[in-house]
Amino acid sequence: MISIPDLRVILIDDNEVDLLLHERLITLQQISRTVLAFNNANKALEFLSSNISLPRIPPTVLLLDIQMPEMDGFEFLEAFYSYPAKIKSQCHVIMVSSSLDYGDLSRTYANPMVFKLLKKPLLASELKNAIMDIFRDQ
Amino acid sequence: MKDNRIRILYIDDEIHNLNAFKAGFRRSYEIYTANSAQEGKQLLKSIDVHIIIADQKMPVSTGVEFFNEIKDTLPDPMRILLTGYTDVEDIIDAINKGHIFSYIKKPWDEIELHRTINNAFEIYNTRRQLKEKILELEKINDELNRFIYSTSHDLRSPLMSVLGIINLSRLDNSVTDPNGYLNMIEVCILKLDGFIQKIIEYYRNSRLDVEYEKINFENLIHECIASFRHQNNAIQFEVNVDQPVDFKGDTFRISVILNNLISNAVKYQKPDESHPQVNLSVKVEPHKATLSIEDNGIGILSEHLNNIFKMFFRSKNNNKPGSGIGLYIVKEALNKIGGTINVESKYGEGTLFEISIPNRNDFDS
Repeated sequence: MISIPDLRVILIDDNEVDLLLHERLITLQQISRTVLAFNNANKALEFLSSNISLPRIPPTVLLLDIQMPEMDGFEFLEAFYSYPAKIKSQCHVIMVSSSLDYGDLSRTYANPMVFKLLKKPLLASELKNAIMDIFRDQ
Repeated sequence: MKDNRIRILYIDDEIHNLNAFKAGFRRSYEIYTANSAQEGKQLLKSIDVHIIIADQKMPVSTGVEFFNEIKDTLPDPMRILLTGYTDVEDIIDAINKGHIFSYIKKPWDEIELHRTINNAFEIYNTRRQLKEKILELEKINDELNRFIYSTSHDLRSPLMSVLGIINLSRLDNSVTDPNGYLNMIEVCILKLDGFIQKIIEYYRNSRLDVEYEKINFENLIHECIASFRHQNNAIQFEVNVDQPVDFKGDTFRISVILNNLISNAVKYQKPDESHPQVNLSVKVEPHKATLSIEDNGIGILSEHLNNIFKMFFRSKNNNKPGSGIGLYIVKEALNKIGGTINVESKYGEGTLFEISIPNRNDFDS
């Protein structure tokens, strides 16, 4: 169990099964009480920009898939890069992918906005550890 | 068979030469004529010819000048220069400037000209076929790259979802499964995924450029062991690395080799062995590294030893699941980096693989 009371997790994945799986996993393991699922990276971007009007942005973990139609994970990161610091500083990106493609993997490791890459199937223990690492120094 | 006819354009300012050429060769070839370079260029805009024959000595522009002008826009047709005087300078100039296939002295010898035309056409055809093959290869290459990419993603992604579902069903205990069907599904999925990973490994090995970087064998071997240890916790690993000098090699391929051999050493253990053991040793020298991987597992039948590095070969005397591709990948990876492998095995006692890999470190000599 992770003790960040207002932590929220945003899931971005075009695969509906994985969205459901990850949502159930997070709820079951009580990682976060708020889970928002988007099957399209654009919709997630829209949601995040609407957050600007909030008085305070809650600590947020984004679980981002790599390959998606329309806008893939890297394109999402590129667009998100230009977001105001008020939003960006509260969002932590964990890439989640089943890809073994060398190009995909090295691009992920090279991206400074990505905290970690987790491989599918997503394991509760790995996700918990990654989230704990993110908030350890804070 | 009109398409098989050789199409020739002949340019000469002397009308009677054009007529004589037509009369002599029109039964054998499809002939077009022009009496100036200008007219020839005009004709070439509408007709695709295989061979261009031009007279050197023409007013306005010479044969060489003409060939030189069309060299970039029409690189394909073969060029034959016809010249009445054997001026060496002219011929050298022609060959250097105009990419000319051959030159023929005037008056031409009919048999010689026939032979020259046919030789030129053969080269024209060969070049065209080569171009077609190159295009075809580029297309296949491109498709193969996309195939590998979609194998590594599209084929694998639903498999990982199934594994995720199995994991979740265990977490929330929502599935009653007294016969252990979920475990069986998981075993099958892992087997299929293992095979997909081997295919990707094979293609990456065959296509990726070889890159040399510093390698620390101690770390590399412990990383490899860490990823297989959980498959059989009873195994004792003994690692002995003697690396007094730097080693440079291709990290991807060396880890592919180690991963496959360690995986085999772990997998092919005797079920009743009380002290399963895997010994790994590395000795780095200025010019090579020698690695050995030894196990006390089930061993390999001596009649199978010659076949184990062949694609899809599987020993039939064990009932272990294998894809028959692992050692083939090891051999292919070693070929890429100039290494060699030797195997010794006694059935029922164990197996020893010995590998030698060149050290790509440039020591100051």
